Amino acid sequence: MPIASHRIDDRLVHGQVVVGWGQPLDVAFLAVVDDALAGSPWEQELYRLAAPPELEMRFVTVDDAAAQYGAWAADARVGIVLTADVETMARLASRVAAIRRVTVGGLHAGPGRAERLRYVFLDAADAARLEALAARGVDVVAQDLPAARPMPLAEWGRVPA
Amino acid sequence: MWRRTFVVQGAWSYDVMIGPGLAYAIEPALRLLPGGPGGDAYRAALARQSQYFNCHPYFSAMAVGALARLALDQAPSAMITRFRGALCGPLGSVGDRLVWAAWLPACALLGLLFWGLGAGATGAVLAFVLSYNMGHVALRAWGLSEGWRRGQQVASALAAPWLRDGPAVIGRVAAVLAGLALPLVTGRLLSGDWVLAGAVLVAAVPAGYVISRLGGRVPGWAAAAGVLSLLSLVALLA
Repeated sequence: MPIASHRIDDRLVHGQVVVGWGQPLDVAFLAVVDDALAGSPWEQELYRLAAPPELEMRFVTVDDAAAQYGAWAADARVGIVLTADVETMARLASRVAAIRRVTVGGLHAGPGRAERLRYVFLDAADAARLEALAARGVDVVAQDLPAARPMPLAEWGRVPA
Repeated sequence: MWRRTFVVQGAWSYDVMIGPGLAYAIEPALRLLPGGPGGDAYRAALARQSQYFNCHPYFSAMAVGALARLALDQAPSAMITRFRGALCGPLGSVGDRLVWAAWLPACALLGLLFWGLGAGATGAVLAFVLSYNMGHVALRAWGLSEGWRRGQQVASALAAPWLRDGPAVIGRVAAVLAGLALPLVTGRLLSGDWVLAGAVLVAAVPAGYVISRLGGRVPGWAAAAGVLSLLSLVALLA
């Protein structure tokens, strides 16, 4: 079954993902792609607490995700791929041609970041990465919850003049 | 710090959520850093803790305790930042499941049951307010204590069986309360018109079937609370 969502969310595993997306889509596994997190057992332990025990969680590097993506997509169960930042998702998408849509679910305020939507704050580098993804034919949208309208990058991605 | 956790949402905003509130709650501990209040370490720590942070407000007390502990242990700032980020998900998710999805509706149903049993409006409201606040005040105290005691190891506290199984147990209690409250409140709202009350209860049978077909997407207690609210509105309008 194709991966239900390739989501960029700096909170990674939290209520919107587990309940908001997980329940209506009947998600069975989350693949969290993060090089640092993949080697940090104490952080993994914390993130596992954010999900119910029946939801399988995998913490992998970008290299491992690229290698395992085919198996995830072939899994009969529904899965979601998560990254905490645009750069990681861009690296993964550059190696996995099957990623045709990327959803920005939450990038919050930080130094140098400007508000594009209430739940999307971008700096210039991330905006450029998203533009580059879109230029390669990836459908980049912003959508925090399934009931919300997926907003195309053109509506929120450009730096205001 | 415990008292300050009650106003952790006081400076809430979309961009940083409860980050400033978290910093305010931790601030008394940061005064103990080398250099004291106004020193470089104090300023850097306060700025770090004011950044974006979001979790369940009651469970933020656990973050306050753990982050205060790490700050005073002078853990590396990069590690504190990663730890802080990793806390958002579990403290939000555990809190949402335990409080918003279980404890809050259970207490509301308790209030309704009191009213159905003949209590006045004040009695019903008091039953809700007192039971609900006992839970959330105790949670804040427990969270702050465990966070401070365990520091970076708070995961072990969050994995406690009562937190893992609590939502399911409270959900079952809420279902019982809903089952008791439904006929009692219906009867009182319909002012002894037991024919109409019977019709309502009979109508609840197909409604229950519909709920059971929803595959758990709408919890039974939530549907029962919705039905009771609807009946209350009808009674007010009648």
